[in-house]
Amino acid sequence: MNQQSQWRSRLDRIPGAAYIFLIVFAAASILVPRFFSVGNISTMLLQACTLTLLSVAMSLTLMMGSIDLSMGGVVSMCGVIMACIMRAGASAWLALPVGLIIGAVFGMFNGVMVTRLKIPAFIATFGSMGIAQSIANTISQERTVSWEVSPKTSLIDFLGNHALSVEMGTDASQTLTISNLLIITAVVVAVVWVLFRRTTLGSNIYALGANEETARLSGVSVTQWRIIVFVISGVLAALGGIVVMVRSNSVQPTIGSNLEFQACVAAVLGGNVMEGGKGSVPGAVLGALTLYTIRSAMSLMGIDTSWVQVVIGGVLVIGMLLNNYAASREKAGSLAALNRARADRAVGKGGVAK
Amino acid sequence: MEREKLLEFRHVSKSFPGVKALEDINVDLYPGEVHILVGENGAGKSTLMKVLSGAYTATSGELIFEGKRIEKNSPHISEALGISMIYQELNLVPELSIASNIFLGHELKKGCFVDTRAQEKRAAELLNEIGIRVDPRTLVKNLGVGTQQMVEIAKALSKKAKVIVFDEPTSSLTDSEIQELFGIIRLLRERGVGMFYISHRLEELFKIGDRVTVLRDGRQILTDTIDHMTMESVIENIAGRKIENLFPHVRKEAGEPLLEIKSLSGDKFQDVSMTVRAGEIVGVSGLVGAGRTETARAAFGIDPYTSGEVYVCGKKLAKHNPERANKLGMCLLPEDRKLEGLALSLSIRENTVISSLRALNPTGIINDAKERREVQKSIDELEIATSTMDKLAKFLSGGTQQKVVIAKWLMSQSKVFIFDEPTRGIDVGAKSSIYQLMDDLVGRGAAILMISSDLTEIMGMSDRIYVMSGGTVVGELDQRQATQSDILQLAFSNV
Repeated sequence: MNQQSQWRSRLDRIPGAAYIFLIVFAAASILVPRFFSVGNISTMLLQACTLTLLSVAMSLTLMMGSIDLSMGGVVSMCGVIMACIMRAGASAWLALPVGLIIGAVFGMFNGVMVTRLKIPAFIATFGSMGIAQSIANTISQERTVSWEVSPKTSLIDFLGNHALSVEMGTDASQTLTISNLLIITAVVVAVVWVLFRRTTLGSNIYALGANEETARLSGVSVTQWRIIVFVISGVLAALGGIVVMVRSNSVQPTIGSNLEFQACVAAVLGGNVMEGGKGSVPGAVLGALTLYTIRSAMSLMGIDTSWVQVVIGGVLVIGMLLNNYAASREKAGSLAALNRARADRAVGKGGVAK
Repeated sequence: MEREKLLEFRHVSKSFPGVKALEDINVDLYPGEVHILVGENGAGKSTLMKVLSGAYTATSGELIFEGKRIEKNSPHISEALGISMIYQELNLVPELSIASNIFLGHELKKGCFVDTRAQEKRAAELLNEIGIRVDPRTLVKNLGVGTQQMVEIAKALSKKAKVIVFDEPTSSLTDSEIQELFGIIRLLRERGVGMFYISHRLEELFKIGDRVTVLRDGRQILTDTIDHMTMESVIENIAGRKIENLFPHVRKEAGEPLLEIKSLSGDKFQDVSMTVRAGEIVGVSGLVGAGRTETARAAFGIDPYTSGEVYVCGKKLAKHNPERANKLGMCLLPEDRKLEGLALSLSIRENTVISSLRALNPTGIINDAKERREVQKSIDELEIATSTMDKLAKFLSGGTQQKVVIAKWLMSQSKVFIFDEPTRGIDVGAKSSIYQLMDDLVGRGAAILMISSDLTEIMGMSDRIYVMSGGTVVGELDQRQATQSDILQLAFSNV
């Protein structure tokens, strides 16, 4: 029985998002002719990089019972600022760190609004989304910003290169390509995950989301941790900005719009709930990959991209339903466990309590 | 006593704008002592403990810990000194393991990483010390309330607590869990831990208390060793008046059966039959999870059931239709008043009329004057303590909230009342008036089915008692012949 329960607990630990992803992925592979090819899948993974970073950030903020709606705006803002710095002739080695720092500062701004000024995260980050987007629009004068390719910007080219390219056939769809961006994204996500699992970051985030009072009474510095998570979110959004910038070799000021919505959908698919205290980093990654699987499958089927939003909205609803279902099963399960424990105890006492 | 005092409150007062919450309190605590704090809700027990934890700062007076004055208290400082609080509402993080919860905020580390293995090992030792055998890697969401409380105690121990404050620790535990908790408290006493213990269950103070302090309206009424006190004297001091008889219920002539549950089966209960007659209070006893609440919810029509029938006043109830049950004169007063019984952000008036809107206002237009008149009548009749009927329900005490729920159902002409844990978390003064009210209800020909985990209450208020265990009715007892241990034996017979 012990072994069985161990298996069960191991199964429990796999996020529900894994099943959704597998189902969607399998369905796409079977139903859409050109979907399951190394070429398409490597393109899809590359496209999913920005959203993966944002979904992980969104998942962290949701887990602690907040939300960060500003990330789309931060993607645009950081992208525009970095592009402008390079357009002015400065080196990419200057521009990228500046972008990341601005992301961090903006995250801190969000964190301070939520903790010190006690503005609800939904409102605070909604406001800062507007601020970030307006900064992007103003600086760029609402035009696409591009820069001159020169040795100074060779870092951008390097990031955009393929680290690995294997031709498995004559057709382009049979070429496996691993971009540097994909590797960087994977490394960043892995670092966040390790921080989450192996340092106090994870426990503190769960504690904040489950019950802020509990966290405070346990000696967790509530303000400090909230700000830290918003800073992480800001930095990940800035990284997302770098990814879109490298991929398109220019920055449109509205490049980040709507990304926060998709990140939210991905996080919910990954097991997050709006009340906080639940969710996981791998779940968020799988959520983002699920969305891109759908997107890629739809575009291969020749369905107009404007329909993608409709489908994503539907996916959000399905994700919510699945979360509710999981929660109700959990409740039933814990009651069963309670009864089992009671039965054990009663038997241990010879059946009668005095 | 010659022993050194562990902790002392000296002339502690605390004022909030417009209220004196504590006035000149002098309470001390010795190592290895269980010091019980009793008093009605709002008497100042929790405020006093918040001064100790550093959540509040005393307006005047001082706090002495191990001979030294605590100059500036805060939750961090008191915790570092070894003062731990265990609150009624458990403060654990459901998604984390037992070990992570125990070490939350003071994790064991190896470099900058959490040393999970060391935490699990230490957690297992701590749990072992208090005699709990459970894998420290288990997620807290999979634990019962009782075990969660033990985890809280282990957490306090991990911080090397010298003083532990228990705030109503038994309010959601079953009897066997309470015994387990008392065992642990005795163990802590032997190790020299000083404990404050807040409880509304007075029989507990004679079981584990060493000394008692009674607070009323922020003042210290008395502090004395338990040997010098009796249940009556404690109650009298808490209420500030003599409560002749906590349970006023007099057996009445039982009339027609008003509620008949016939062979009801569902998910969590099988073949349950119960009858309640007019003028009767019937108690339902059993362990938490015995299927009592589930049966009541199904009978009322909130949850579906697979087979069986329910009759109210001789008429058959439709499945899964609480509105119909309501119309026939049946009502359910849930255990969690705040979640299910009341709309907290609405006023007393709005809560009271919510089930009788159609009857009060047949035209569909709100008859303001009539509503106010009827509500005032209920307030007077039930002695609901409030300055105005427009006060919001969330500002009322537990006892008053319960009365508002009763007022709501009385107004809708209910005849069959199902009370689920009617007095949980309610102080003794308000308890006695709820009991009085229940007795009045059956005096007027109503029928009451009372689910309760409090055996004293079951014995004090019921005419007949059904005992449920493992989802079935395992016994029906006449109160005059039943003893508490009969009930307990039955309650454990089918787990």
